[in-house]
Amino acid sequence: MEEKKPFVKINNISMWYPQKSKSLSQVIKREKQWVKAVDNVSLELQKGEILGVIGESGCGKSTLGRALARLEHPTQGDVFIDDVSTQNLIKQDQRKFRRTVQIVFQNPFDTFTPRDTIEKILMRPLKLHGIGKSEEERKQKCIDILESGGLKPAEEIMKRYPHELSGGQLQRISILRSMLFNPQFIIADEPVSMLDVSVRAEIINMLVTLSREKDATVVFISHDIALTRYISDKIAVMYLGKIIEYGDSETIINRPQHPYTQALISNTPSIDLDEIRETIKVEGEPPTPVNPGPGCYFAPRCFKATKNCFKHYPDTVELESGHLVSCSEI
Amino acid sequence: MDRVLELKDFNVTYKNKTKKVYAVKDINLTINKGDSLGIVGESGSGKSTLAMAILRLLPERNTEITGSSNFANKDLVQASEKELKEIRWKELSVVFQKSMNALSPVHRIGEQIEDIYRVHKPNARKEEIFDRIKALLRLVNLSERVFKMYPHELSGGMLQRVAIAISLIHDPKLLIMDEATTALDVVTQGQILEEIVKMEQTLDVTRIMITHDISVVATTCNKIAVLYAGELMEVGYVKDILKEPKHPYTKGLLSSIPSLSGEKETLTGIKGHLPDLSQKYEGCIFAPRCEHAMEQCGKSKPSETQLTGENRVWCHLYSQSDRGEQLDISKNLAEVNR
Repeated sequence: MEEKKPFVKINNISMWYPQKSKSLSQVIKREKQWVKAVDNVSLELQKGEILGVIGESGCGKSTLGRALARLEHPTQGDVFIDDVSTQNLIKQDQRKFRRTVQIVFQNPFDTFTPRDTIEKILMRPLKLHGIGKSEEERKQKCIDILESGGLKPAEEIMKRYPHELSGGQLQRISILRSMLFNPQFIIADEPVSMLDVSVRAEIINMLVTLSREKDATVVFISHDIALTRYISDKIAVMYLGKIIEYGDSETIINRPQHPYTQALISNTPSIDLDEIRETIKVEGEPPTPVNPGPGCYFAPRCFKATKNCFKHYPDTVELESGHLVSCSEI
Repeated sequence: MDRVLELKDFNVTYKNKTKKVYAVKDINLTINKGDSLGIVGESGSGKSTLAMAILRLLPERNTEITGSSNFANKDLVQASEKELKEIRWKELSVVFQKSMNALSPVHRIGEQIEDIYRVHKPNARKEEIFDRIKALLRLVNLSERVFKMYPHELSGGMLQRVAIAISLIHDPKLLIMDEATTALDVVTQGQILEEIVKMEQTLDVTRIMITHDISVVATTCNKIAVLYAGELMEVGYVKDILKEPKHPYTKGLLSSIPSLSGEKETLTGIKGHLPDLSQKYEGCIFAPRCEHAMEQCGKSKPSETQLTGENRVWCHLYSQSDRGEQLDISKNLAEVNR
């Protein structure tokens, strides 16, 4: 396979939050407790690729998304888009950064200002970024983009307020709005988990078509494994702030290697009745990401754990080309 | 077969001074002993309303329930508060999505379960209660230590297990689970679902599982009822309906769910959105979104059509013009395709 240069390079990004000292001794010694929501995550994405990030709630997948969109300043690490450091870019030209990177949130009802009409909501960013020469031109652009997403009649919809539209329509507008500037890198944080199953499909299909059309790179964050498989080219599995397995989506789903991924997939209920799967039992619940380790974070719950697992965090091994696993038992 | 619950022309209407919302309409449904029925539907389909109305937990001031629901030789719709009190927990119990939040933070788990035990057996001896509770905790895969713990010491999955244990304390005839595992993580949910299925092999309980997630029904139920906008679309065995859905809505719903195995198929979904439930509709409620809609669909409500066995569907595509005549599905479908 030809080695291509990654378009988006996530380099050792970490997001730590300080925790209030709980005990007196901690206060005296000034020991700081850290919640390591995202811990040294490195990933590479090709242009136009869709990467799915899956994991349980609290594993840091949304925090990763927020850090990538620079809604939070990562504790360390940087993201390079086409060899440009976003850390520098956001300092020098924040607007340009926002035009390059966009995020779609989970809850469409919270995304929009309730007091503004859709027209105002869509026109404001265009004006701020100085796109379009006149008001009419900007309005035409809004109409075009709404109609490209199947929202017709666009002029009628633009007169409405967010509460007058359904969740599915709002989420469409949210996705279309993020596409206004032809962003190169889109982060979709659980974009359909608030929506009903029957409207999900259309929105997902729209997201895929639009990002393919614009050749944008997408990070798709979700807890729904089947949906992630449907949409993504690559999948990364997160557990307690770390990526534990990464690879082609089919490889991850059909031949998971990390015990956690195996457990996660085997416990996902399926509508296929013929499929017989052995579910893998996992003890307990995910621990808090406050000073985890040493050793593999999953070891206390792992069915394959040996003494070795508790000593130091396992290195990442490349099993086959592009399939990375962090487990010492493989 | 023993009937546990029988709903007849069951309607639930929410009302205030200015308008009425017809949340559940004309439900006819029978649940036999030993069944596990999954009620699926999207948000706003009335599935939770249906459960709350069966349990009579809806506030009387703004709801109107008509029809009958026969349970344990009583009509629950007409039953008085006193009669209901006798049935609750003992014969009819429920687990909600956030049942765990109902646990008191200042009492130990054991004490709280004991309280509920004493509601129906006030004179029980302490040892008897302890034995029962410990057996129940084992049943839901919790260690006996939980007995002496406070709710904050347990995780969400464990608390939900406690809630399931409480619901089973008096060996109820009917257990209703309203999105009981929705708030949990995939791994925890998978395990609890497996435990529920396993546990039922030893218990004599009939279960209604209310969920928006068809895959949960696929793994834990033998029958399924599909609700849309407060009306039943299709009822029958899970193995038949998931393999060969009859109603266009069920078909659409199933085609919107991606699969974990096999070929990747394009998801199609269903166009449009839920109708306004504050209005009454003449025809089939799904007709505006249905791709097979015919002239007839806008005019009259489809009546119940009996398919093979206990499977039933409410759709004009399958309705018989003459009773006793063979189903002329192929003709109807051909007409649609044309």
